[in-house]
Amino acid sequence: MPRQDKSVYSIAIVVALAILLCLHPVTVSGADQGFQDEQHVFFEAKIRPVLLNTCFGCHGGDEVNNGLRVNTREALLEGGFNGPAIVPGRPEASLLLEAIRYDDSAYVQMPPDEKLPNHVVADFEDWVKNGALWPAESAWQAEVAEPSAPHWSFEPVNPVEPPVPSNAWSDHPIDRFISDGWRAHELSPNPLVEKRTLIRRVYFDLIGLPPAPEAVSAFVNDTSPDAFENLVDNLLASPRYGERWGRHWMDVIRYADTAGDNADYPIPEIHQYRDYIIDSFNADKPYNQFIQEQLAGDLLAKGEAPENFAEQVIATGFVALSRRYGTAPYELRHLIIEDSIETMGRAFMGLTLRCARCHDHKFDPVTMEDYYALYGIFASTQYPYTGSEIFRFGSERRMNFVPLLPPEQVQPKVDSHRKQLAKIQADMDQLERESLLAKKRDELNILVESVGKEIAALEETGEDTEAIESQKQMLSERRERVKRQIDKKKKELKQQLARSDLPDDLPQAYAVQDGTAVDIPIQLRGNPKESGPVVMRNSPRFLSGDKSLDIPSGQSGRLQLAEWLTDRANPLTARVMVNRIWQYHFGKGIVPTPSNFGRSGVMPTHPKLLDYLANRFVESGWSIKAMHRLILSSKVYQLASDYNTQNASIDPANAYYWRFDRRRLEAEAIRDAMMATSGLLRLNPPGGHPFPPVRTWRWTQHFPFKKKTYPSNHRSVYLMTQRLQRHPFLGLFDGPDTNTTTGKRMNSTVPQQSLFLRNHPWVQEQAAAFANRLIESSKDFAQRVNRAHQFAYGREAYTDEQQRATEYIAQVSQELNAYDMTSEQRELETWSSYARVILTANEFLYID
Amino acid sequence: MNEEHPINRRKFLNYALTGCATTMLGPITKLCLAAEFHNGHPLAPKLTHHPAKAKNLIFVFLTGGFSHVDTFDYKPKLQQDHGKKIPAWENTTQPAMGSPFKFQAYGESGLMISELFPHLGGIADDLCVIRSMHTDLVEHFQATLAMHTGSATVPMPSIGAWLSYGLGTENLDLPSYMVLCERIPYSGSQVWDSHFLPPVHQGVRVIPGDEPISNLKSNARSLKLAELERIMLHDVNEIHARQRPGDLELLARMNADNTAKGMMRVAPQMFDVSKESDATLNLYGLKRDDHKSFAWQCLVARRLVEHGVRVVELIDTGANDNWDAHGNMEEHRPKARRVDLPLSALIKDLKQRGMFDETLIAICTEFGRTPFSDGVGRNHHGTAFTCLLAGAGIKGGVAYGESDEYGLGIVSQPCHVHDYHATILHLMGIDHTKLTYRYGGRDFRLTDVHGKIISEVIA
Repeated sequence: MPRQDKSVYSIAIVVALAILLCLHPVTVSGADQGFQDEQHVFFEAKIRPVLLNTCFGCHGGDEVNNGLRVNTREALLEGGFNGPAIVPGRPEASLLLEAIRYDDSAYVQMPPDEKLPNHVVADFEDWVKNGALWPAESAWQAEVAEPSAPHWSFEPVNPVEPPVPSNAWSDHPIDRFISDGWRAHELSPNPLVEKRTLIRRVYFDLIGLPPAPEAVSAFVNDTSPDAFENLVDNLLASPRYGERWGRHWMDVIRYADTAGDNADYPIPEIHQYRDYIIDSFNADKPYNQFIQEQLAGDLLAKGEAPENFAEQVIATGFVALSRRYGTAPYELRHLIIEDSIETMGRAFMGLTLRCARCHDHKFDPVTMEDYYALYGIFASTQYPYTGSEIFRFGSERRMNFVPLLPPEQVQPKVDSHRKQLAKIQADMDQLERESLLAKKRDELNILVESVGKEIAALEETGEDTEAIESQKQMLSERRERVKRQIDKKKKELKQQLARSDLPDDLPQAYAVQDGTAVDIPIQLRGNPKESGPVVMRNSPRFLSGDKSLDIPSGQSGRLQLAEWLTDRANPLTARVMVNRIWQYHFGKGIVPTPSNFGRSGVMPTHPKLLDYLANRFVESGWSIKAMHRLILSSKVYQLASDYNTQNASIDPANAYYWRFDRRRLEAEAIRDAMMATSGLLRLNPPGGHPFPPVRTWRWTQHFPFKKKTYPSNHRSVYLMTQRLQRHPFLGLFDGPDTNTTTGKRMNSTVPQQSLFLRNHPWVQEQAAAFANRLIESSKDFAQRVNRAHQFAYGREAYTDEQQRATEYIAQVSQELNAYDMTSEQRELETWSSYARVILTANEFLYID
Repeated sequence: MNEEHPINRRKFLNYALTGCATTMLGPITKLCLAAEFHNGHPLAPKLTHHPAKAKNLIFVFLTGGFSHVDTFDYKPKLQQDHGKKIPAWENTTQPAMGSPFKFQAYGESGLMISELFPHLGGIADDLCVIRSMHTDLVEHFQATLAMHTGSATVPMPSIGAWLSYGLGTENLDLPSYMVLCERIPYSGSQVWDSHFLPPVHQGVRVIPGDEPISNLKSNARSLKLAELERIMLHDVNEIHARQRPGDLELLARMNADNTAKGMMRVAPQMFDVSKESDATLNLYGLKRDDHKSFAWQCLVARRLVEHGVRVVELIDTGANDNWDAHGNMEEHRPKARRVDLPLSALIKDLKQRGMFDETLIAICTEFGRTPFSDGVGRNHHGTAFTCLLAGAGIKGGVAYGESDEYGLGIVSQPCHVHDYHATILHLMGIDHTKLTYRYGGRDFRLTDVHGKIISEVIA
């Protein structure tokens, strides 16, 4: 129960008093006023708190046990399945009183845990006897959300101009918005950060890798005014950029390489969608197009040139990746679709639509009709099936993958594949029914049967059956031989039977296409077995008003939904995305709940800035790279991260951006940075994962697909991630949840992370490689130490660091003298130990 | 939950920032300090909603679904009607199958327990048998998830993670929720995941055998080398932190390094039972060189609870070769033999150490098994099955709820999985309706919008 009972109670009292003092309920006539006032005070003091604290849990809000609600007087008068709960003026006829008195004859005794104190029961008797008055304006009802009231994010994006700059510090629009907050709160911003720190910051920010020492010195020595701008341009042009920012998007769309069913079947084809995301970021694909392709690329592809066809189909991996359940294809389909709707809502619009599956949304104006209007769109969509427990029996094939060539090119291949499938199937049937072997078997069947009858007849007359028994034995054996031959041939045929309904050599994607277009009835209480009225497929009405999606007959409506989502008039889409971009740059969003812009989310800290950015975003043609350039060129982005006692006493959380927030690298960046520093990182994109061939797939819930890692020296965005098993490294450092959209990574500090960094063989391997790199770089120890700092931290070593390092190298080296080893090995072990420290220290894990 | 920390924040921070403040303080004070340190340490002990009857939980999960009618729910009528068709049960054509196991009355309470569990029978007067359990989805995966997280479909935080989140822990050198699990159960690591709760509450898997916790063993050639490296790391971090005053997170991470050191020291001690007396080892039926069996796991569970780990879970076996006796009920015998003595020993051991009064033991499973046959064995059955509770706050020698004469449905006092969870939380001092976490726009809790405390089983 989210509601804070006490505070509601006090709100109720305050509001009730307000009502008493100024706004007499209109229903009250003059003569009874005194009595009514008294009764209202009585109600607020004695009755409402009990209803709220004791009964509401099961008879209000989400729960309506036995059909009874206690939210309003009307609800009590109407009562539950057993009839009215109260009859005003007649306590003896009121079921509610019977129940709370714990009468032996009562149908129920309430509350179930413990009888209410006698004086409370007496209060209720008095209240009912006196007519069960209830203040007309119920504070309680008001508290239980007024979803139709205006809410900032559902209103159109405002045209906003940046405030007039009050000084010459910066005329950058973002700085003008932000510095307004400084003035208002008497904050003085930090100075700009030094260039060495800035380049490390922006490298990790844009490409998720540390700058090489040469890049640092080049930038530091570049005194031209557009040095930083050029740096940003270079990074945005790097293929590493898409790997970094694509990973952010993969968090949002709950990317995984497995389906999430009971046996967690792999999806070898889904890496194409991952690569599509990376490529799209690298190409600066307009965000509106990016959304449209992911929701409805298959439909857009129809009118497209063949070279764009594959890309657009692959994009719908977004829908295809919806979480799977159970053992059979499409089991618990309503939950698969729930995941599609919820992920779409949170990813694109910051709306928690899932809440409206079982009841109208408690906070936002999303109704069950809205939910099932969207549901119909996805129910009219054909999802692919990669396999699940039942797959191993051979009765189900992988199905409904989407070919990556236009239909006219594919059809002949598909036809011949299906023909071949049908032929083998027919051969198997024929073998079973009409082949020579089958005929032989049937004949033998008849013979065995008739001999059996003969034996029975002989037995009846008591004659000797020995001879004929042996004949039967012989016939039976022959029949078994024939059956075994049939089975053997059938098995051979079955092995030829393809495991997919498309030919293996046809390029295909784990993607969606339109299925049979249907409108879906509301599922009462979210139960797919209980149907309410049918709702037409549509977008949520509170955002689109009377305008309905114009869905051509026979289509799902995904394309129209995607167009509606990316319409300029949609107040959420652009705001949500610029907020995400801002968040990845600064570590926190302008709206701190990036996937929840609804009433239960958190209000923006800088609403005008958000709208300004949203407008700029749309005006730039939804260019994500343009948004990066805009944000990164602000001075706010380039502030130092230093602490300042004066500022911190006013704004400890740095809500007004007087400094840049220091933050820990994400799991992927830690791993990539270590490999980049050790020199082991491989930068070529690796393609798919080495899953076992489909023909060998036999996974069940008893023996699920469980491959925690495939060894890889590629960037972490390419690691294989499962739904039922967390990747051990990513899981440890707050990697994304592969089952649901992740808007913001957690930042945990747990000792298991330290244990990993100290003791895991992988870290040892990186440290050893880094040590070799240092040893090769110079014979001079001081040079090596300096080099270590350049590689790992992008700076020179300080004097005290040099001293401490020299001392440490000597200590370790001396300690290793006790062991029998070559001097080379001793040197390597010594420097490995030092490298481990450098690679796992806070300076490595944090960016300033 | 509001907490009052006795230590003045500003004073502490000054203290902490000037040096190794925590080395000279006791563990609990250390925790309160840690709480201040990390903006409220997520594992700091928290106040309960009401006085707790149990301080710790040992959650025993028997994988595969043990048969209630062959263990703790004696059905004479089922024996009588063996081979006959059971009336009116979802049109099954399978005949009733009496239990192949003998039952007898145990203890003063006279609880009927089958020959599969003679040792648990011996402590029957300490057990509370809930014979009216029911669950919603009767597949392994879903039922396993439900018993751990309250949700049979969408992943949610585990009960252990919820308790860690709600109560914190009393020993910083060990995780708050530890799961002894030799083989992975159905639905994998989701059963001890913290999901949307902070990862610090996630169960830490202990794999019985040579390396119970990953990365616990140092690869250094000598202790001295390991210690030199640790100090070096500390010094490098200290230089870094000194240049960045006011950043508590950097200090928290340095602190986590210290805790890791504590874990490297303390956890192996937990798993090393060599100092236990012969009497204790004999009680568990444990040989000296054994560091893997279920008996060892039960003994380690006691040691962990003794050292302040809030929730210890024991998962007896994995997603195959378990209690899922479709083929033959006799398959229950080796499974029972494996856990019967160690579990009873655990309870006796807790008692003799005065820990039984503060430790709650929950012995549960996925679902029960059909009273009719499935060939030779029994199929999954979710509308009536049995789980146990024992220890702190629990009435001993008691049976709660009743299934019908065949063990098919429930006749009285039903106990849904949500109710079982609500009762466990209640005993641990937590109101299951108030332990919530806001995620994705709404408040979630272990029992969703359900759950009723079974007050009849509470002493």
